[in-house]
Amino acid sequence: MALPVLVNSPSRCLFSFALAAALLSLPAISTAQSAEFSDLAARAAAARDQQNLPLAIDLYTQAEQLNPSWQEGWWYLGILQYTSNQYAGAIDAFSHLLQLVPTAVPAMALRGLCEYETADYENALRDLDQAVAHGAANEPRNEQIIRFHLALLLSHASRFEDALVQYTALAKLKAEAPDLFVAIGLAGMRSNSFPADVASSDREFYQGVGHAGYVFLSGDDEQADQLFSHLFAQYPDRAGIHFCYGYLLFPHDPAMAGDQFQRELAVKPTSETQALLALTLIYEGRFSDALPPAQLAYNSDPNLHIAQVALGRALAETGDISHGADLLNKAIERDPKDLEAHLGLASIYSHTGNREEEARERTICRDLSK
Amino acid sequence: MSVQSAATCRSSGRRVANLALTSALVGLLCILGLPSLTAQARADQDASPRCGTCHAGVVNSFRTAPMRHAMEPDGANPLLSAHPDLTVTLGAYTYTVQTRNGHSTYSVTDGTETLTLPIHWIFGQHTQTWVLEKDGHFFESLVSYFPRENTLATTPGDQQITPHTLEEAMGRRLPVWESRACFDCHATGVGEKLVTSKITPGLGCEHCHDGSNQHMADAARDNFKTLPPSLKHLDAEQISNFCGKCHRTFDTVMRNRWHGPAFVRFQPYRLALSKCFVGNDPRISCTACHNPHQSLNQSAAFYDSKCLVCHSNTNAQSAAHNVKSCPIAKSNCASCHMPKVELPGGHARFTDHYIRVSKPGESYPE
Repeated sequence: MALPVLVNSPSRCLFSFALAAALLSLPAISTAQSAEFSDLAARAAAARDQQNLPLAIDLYTQAEQLNPSWQEGWWYLGILQYTSNQYAGAIDAFSHLLQLVPTAVPAMALRGLCEYETADYENALRDLDQAVAHGAANEPRNEQIIRFHLALLLSHASRFEDALVQYTALAKLKAEAPDLFVAIGLAGMRSNSFPADVASSDREFYQGVGHAGYVFLSGDDEQADQLFSHLFAQYPDRAGIHFCYGYLLFPHDPAMAGDQFQRELAVKPTSETQALLALTLIYEGRFSDALPPAQLAYNSDPNLHIAQVALGRALAETGDISHGADLLNKAIERDPKDLEAHLGLASIYSHTGNREEEARERTICRDLSK
Repeated sequence: MSVQSAATCRSSGRRVANLALTSALVGLLCILGLPSLTAQARADQDASPRCGTCHAGVVNSFRTAPMRHAMEPDGANPLLSAHPDLTVTLGAYTYTVQTRNGHSTYSVTDGTETLTLPIHWIFGQHTQTWVLEKDGHFFESLVSYFPRENTLATTPGDQQITPHTLEEAMGRRLPVWESRACFDCHATGVGEKLVTSKITPGLGCEHCHDGSNQHMADAARDNFKTLPPSLKHLDAEQISNFCGKCHRTFDTVMRNRWHGPAFVRFQPYRLALSKCFVGNDPRISCTACHNPHQSLNQSAAFYDSKCLVCHSNTNAQSAAHNVKSCPIAKSNCASCHMPKVELPGGHARFTDHYIRVSKPGESYPE
């Protein structure tokens, strides 16, 4: 199934209709008070039905000037302008609607898509993130376009892990499109560029990485392994590919992930890769083995959060409880929701016989893992 | 509690943060009584030292330990031989496990076509799940055998699967890492890459005692310096982590966000939730109650004695630490404080190792 393109595609119309249907659950609109308003509203609806978009937009605009609390008018004004690529006007219309009905999730999603088109990436990310959190992607006809744009924005904001969550959902849906592969490749290689910004000379590379990543995310680990092996052979000196594969493997098999991180370090050592290698070893319970890469990562970048956590855990589990606890507590100060750091503290309190603190940390871990 | 149930040891969360033991190919010397050994192999074994040469007591007792039988080899399964014709119909598919002349086959049919595969890998000594091999891929059988009801039923964790093809009905295809993790916890000698011809079903000495093969080889030359790392110094938290490599730790369950009664079977995780668990107290470690080299002790009195080490009015140390004794009873502690939990889908129950004051009718505590 192809992803919808952005301009005047049938998929986009479907998307709009799906959102309109969803909006029917909004509170009843206010009654028009004047005959003029009623006339304008009727003529706007007729123009919309006849696909006369410019006239419909004009009539809805006039009607809203008479009755700015008319929710349905703002909705259609937004939809029609979005469909006509008049994104600034659409954003204004959806904003009015959201002021009247803050829970209008479809309007929030559409405003996010419009903001993306106007390169207002910060607000687009905020709107799409919130819209998905409130169920905007639950509507199958809208899911692909919303998740794809959210993933692009997350990647652009260097939130690559969150982007991969969205790409995983798309892979499970069997969504396919050239830009999707490039986008996954960019996220996997930890580039915050948009697919359109990729140089033509690099496009094949990102497409290849993205394809391998997509196959992995869709669940075919064996084919993905073959594709990544092909990439390793094709680009032996290119940094990031082993990291990408290791990152994908990490939640499933820390040992296999660790092997990829080792190979990445041979191509290009970075503190982040060292820290992730240390974490894979910690996941395997190999705390002594985790200590050297954790120390290297921390030494080269003491502010790197995962390096702090990895070194803190490795130190604590190999006997230097005081220094380890100190690092883990600092990590928690920075990110109170860091599960790994709380797991480390729970272990420390367990080893040292501090039942109350251990129980407190385990409770936090249980809450964080929900 | 029992460790023999393959169906309940598997990771239904699919994401297994599991240890890859980097052991070398386990020596057959460690493993006693393999029925498939040739006479020559036996003669070779007899001529060489084995673990049992020096550690006869523990090797003998380990023969009947559940972990030794975490995986049963093809053709050596008394349970399947005793029940040679097992069948069940689930939805549109009928499953048959047939055993003839010491060999078992697993069949699934939709009434039109039938898929039959040999059972080579029997996971579990009592409750059994089979890992099947087809076209170079591993599949977890979609039905398992449950001895309590002497029946085949859906493998725990697979209840949500609705098969659309005969192959999907046959089993769930395992990713590379999951098949390796399954074999790594149920067999010896898996290493970093699963090669089934190189593994030994069940847990041998080398599985937990890394380096024991080297130790044996050196010992044969009167070199006793290369001893496997001692596990005796581990504290309760470290023992939980060690056993939890297969039985799953608190950390693993938290990282994978596993919730619900299906995960009651992960004892180290549940034990860590207990108010009485603390890592520096050897009286609450896994090995305080369970000797991994022996058969599971089924005596309630045996476990009572473990509880009463701390929870006794006559124990001065308990009084000093303000440890409460039970106002209700002095026996059958586990029946109230470690209630058994039915796994989702039924067919099997597990002892909850979250030790607590459990009230009748309470919901499963996360």
